[in-house]
Amino acid sequence: MKLSIKRFLSLFGLIILASFLFLIPIIAQTKIPKANLPVLSTSAGQSNDVNTINIILEEAGIKYDYCDVPDVDLIKSGVGLADRESGPGFHVEVYTDLSKYPKGTPYKTIIFAIGASLKGMGASGLTVEAEEARLKRIVEYCQKNKIYIIAVHVGGSALRGAPGSDNERMIDAVAPFANHIIVTKDSNKDGRFTNIAKAKNIPLTEVDYALDLVNIFKQIFQ
Amino acid sequence: MRTKIILLICLVFILIWPAIQLYQHRHFQIPIVAGPGVTRVTKLSHYLPALKGTMADTWIFWLEGQESGGKALILGNSHANEPEGMLAALVVIENGLVERGTLLVIPQFNHSASRATRPGDGYPLYFNIDTKWGKKKFRMGNREASPLDQWPDPDVYLHYPDKQLLSFLDARNVNRTWPGRPKGLLMEQVTYAAMELIRQEKVDLVIDIHGAETMFPVTNCIVAPEKSAKLATMVSLTVKATEKFDNHVEPSPPKFRGLSHREIGDYSDAMPFLLEAPIPFLDQPTGPKTEKFLLDGKDPFLLRLSRKNKLFVPYDETGWPIDKRVGQHLSVTLEILRQYSRRTPERSIIIHNVPRYAEVVEKGVGYYFQDPSQVRRDRIYLN
Repeated sequence: MKLSIKRFLSLFGLIILASFLFLIPIIAQTKIPKANLPVLSTSAGQSNDVNTINIILEEAGIKYDYCDVPDVDLIKSGVGLADRESGPGFHVEVYTDLSKYPKGTPYKTIIFAIGASLKGMGASGLTVEAEEARLKRIVEYCQKNKIYIIAVHVGGSALRGAPGSDNERMIDAVAPFANHIIVTKDSNKDGRFTNIAKAKNIPLTEVDYALDLVNIFKQIFQ
Repeated sequence: MRTKIILLICLVFILIWPAIQLYQHRHFQIPIVAGPGVTRVTKLSHYLPALKGTMADTWIFWLEGQESGGKALILGNSHANEPEGMLAALVVIENGLVERGTLLVIPQFNHSASRATRPGDGYPLYFNIDTKWGKKKFRMGNREASPLDQWPDPDVYLHYPDKQLLSFLDARNVNRTWPGRPKGLLMEQVTYAAMELIRQEKVDLVIDIHGAETMFPVTNCIVAPEKSAKLATMVSLTVKATEKFDNHVEPSPPKFRGLSHREIGDYSDAMPFLLEAPIPFLDQPTGPKTEKFLLDGKDPFLLRLSRKNKLFVPYDETGWPIDKRVGQHLSVTLEILRQYSRRTPERSIIIHNVPRYAEVVEKGVGYYFQDPSQVRRDRIYLN
């Protein structure tokens, strides 16, 4: 009789635990975490999707700075990106409201647009290995300095691939270390981002279309 | 002797019969109905008189709103073997009502090419679109201008002014002769006249409508240079979310010269966009190039290639019908105008009564063509 109660309690506990684990992603998808300004947008893999993210930020009315290939020193220089100018393979845009966040203000958030483009990396003089190493340095710096990381993948299946492929390596370099992962449904068909989010306890937001990110970003930076 | 005479008659017949067909095709006129929104119709030669009286001269339809605003130019048939551009332009001409700003539409931009066919590819000379009142017949043209109008071809085409070496055939391809020059080859004169139109009329947006092979990576997309890229991306995101079709953005390569999406932006203040919809008819490993295939885009060889992931667009038994291609072009065009108007209210262009993707797919493109026999003669322009 005692054994049956024990078994019953164990089973009940397991059901509660399973229900809780099942609910985590649902809660994560419905509750949008907040992040702070100033924000820097950048690319993880140099695909064109960082331009999509920039346009979405503009549509959401969020002022941002952008650099396609920043390294730790440039991020350290804060808002205004040390007045660096764009050149071949290096692009900078500064839209942050300088009256609120003067030049040099440390970034509170970095948005990574994940997606590998050999053409994009080649234009910036990067190899896949060099891009991975750069991302690793930035992620470590963000973690040390409590800079909030948002990892975004909106490129769908075109910017996914077999394990170990360029796109998956970019995902591995950023997503597991993010504070918030945002993906379109067609980017997450295989549940890869759901698995990372579960394993690392990262809030995941899944949207139908990239355009839906306009409202998501509004909520994040409200 | 008798055998020789029979052979001679056969030879004459073999030469004369196709010649008659090609002559008829070159002189076949398509009636274009100037819809209620058309306020005036001019010729491209207004901007370069040297074009007057040549086969390269072409109609410009003006749809002017009561309120002043921005200006947009729509080009169809830059490549006259990609008829979805011309059909989309005609839907705008026959139906569009502009409230604010001005829309200029050139449905047969390479007019000479629309009066030629592609040697060796077995193209149909004509195609027919079903309408409420019967079939509307169109000439099926070629990618390049007719050699009857621009001849001889150079061994290598030297692009002006960048001196890039291009294929000899591209000397007759208006999408390699931008920005053109007034005393150059006939096709350079065509693009020069269009550049003058864009500059003199202070055109804000140029939308050049094309079709591209399913096996070519630059298909089902908006090609945009740096200055148009943000607007194009917003258009792409919007049609995907609201109208459920893909139309990604491709950057215009800065080092590939002569193309509308590069030179118009570099040589004027206008923002250029080149629209591509998949046209299976242009792919090479296909069955016969029939009128049916041109219109429904269905081909068993492409279907097999699709199953092997060799195509750059989704492809199944439904093919890529002309209604879908024209519908996509119209939606993307309208969305470019809408997004530009949102961002630049003082130069907005507001147009009504042009159908979008879902409506064209549902009703068919022919639904939007008026019966020329029921229209006043002074509203018909033969092209």
